[in-house]
Amino acid sequence: MFTIKMKMFATVLSLIVLSGCSSSASVQLTNDFPQVLAKPKPLSAAIVFEPSFSNYVARPNEKTEIDIGSAQVRLLRNAFAGLFSNLEFVASREEITLDRALVIIPSIREVQVSVPSDNYLNVFEVWIKYNLDLETTDGDPIDSWFMPAYGKTPDAFMASKSAAIGEAAIIALRDAGAKLMLDFYRIPTVNNWAIEERRKARQANIREVSP
Amino acid sequence: MKLSRLLLLLLTTIIIAGCSATTTIDEYRPTGEAIALNEDDRIVLLGRRDAGHYETDREFISCVGEKMKGGDIRVLPEQEFIDAIYPWFEPRTAPKGLLRLKRLMQDSSIKDEVNKLSIRYLVWLDGSTETLDSGGSMSCAIGPGGGGCFGFAQWDKLSVYEAIVWDLQDLTEKGRLRVDSEGTSYLIGAVAPIPFLTPVKSDACASLGNQLKGFFTVQSNAEQ
Repeated sequence: MFTIKMKMFATVLSLIVLSGCSSSASVQLTNDFPQVLAKPKPLSAAIVFEPSFSNYVARPNEKTEIDIGSAQVRLLRNAFAGLFSNLEFVASREEITLDRALVIIPSIREVQVSVPSDNYLNVFEVWIKYNLDLETTDGDPIDSWFMPAYGKTPDAFMASKSAAIGEAAIIALRDAGAKLMLDFYRIPTVNNWAIEERRKARQANIREVSP
Repeated sequence: MKLSRLLLLLLTTIIIAGCSATTTIDEYRPTGEAIALNEDDRIVLLGRRDAGHYETDREFISCVGEKMKGGDIRVLPEQEFIDAIYPWFEPRTAPKGLLRLKRLMQDSSIKDEVNKLSIRYLVWLDGSTETLDSGGSMSCAIGPGGGGCFGFAQWDKLSVYEAIVWDLQDLTEKGRLRVDSEGTSYLIGAVAPIPFLTPVKSDACASLGNQLKGFFTVQSNAEQ
């Protein structure tokens, strides 16, 4: 009886060790992201999360799979709430109901992963390269903004590769939020659009007040 | 028999003595006085994570936080602060100098949140633990009759961490600390591998935590 228990214990232990040494990683990001601490501008935006974006599963190499879709939607919802006071989130361009809003269509160009055996450093790294297509509600293109995000996490003894890549991906997503908050209104075309929108809003107010 | 026991005892003593880390602390403070901390105020310890090749690990930050907690010092967990103030203390956006901190604190929403959390001092921790050198060899084998490891291996580890204390009310630097901890660990293979590990990182954590604790003096509201 004791021998059988010992054998079972040895088998379980071996399986745990072997799964820890597995070189493939499948990651699903289920965490929440904090609300951004920022005052949004009194402007309107319609964010189009196309199904290809909200269900995106990154396959940076044949051994790694990161289900990033729903997590990036959660993050961008929070981040855009810190940029625009009036927001609409839709799944396709046809569903937009706002007038005079900035239409933002995010997409992913590429996801890259680097592990300690690649970079000879004790870190796991994830790069997410976003593209934001900016348009008017009439469909006129304003700009196409490339937004790279980066996250890294230290290697830990016996820690699973999936957990480390997942952690690095979460840091990369948080970095995308930080980049957005920091640089979005610094894009010259967006800045010009915001100035023009505020001017139009002021003119509309004057027209309403004057008899 | 007695001689072999004596030899074994001597060998064990030598190895255990070799397993202690050498730790040096350098401290800089503009004044010799301890930094006053109101009993309602809290401190937050944050790790620098903007360097390319290393990260100040979260485990070390929480270890130093635990060491500081004695003596009525209230320490806010790092992640709680970073989340509350998101995205202004992410690796990309965190202020690297006082000038940037001053600009950040001009934003009323950030200042209000810092006040709401009762954060008076921010301590930046920057550093890592690295393996410098390793030597020896160990081989393990297993067969039908049993198995075992034979050989000897050793490695040197170095922990270097720097702490910088910022006052979030005056927006000034209150002091700096640097800890260097070095030690050698051994692994002896005598059928079973016997490790003699030098706790370099935990020595650095304990030294830094205790020294930082001495930086502050908690004043009760009645004393003020």
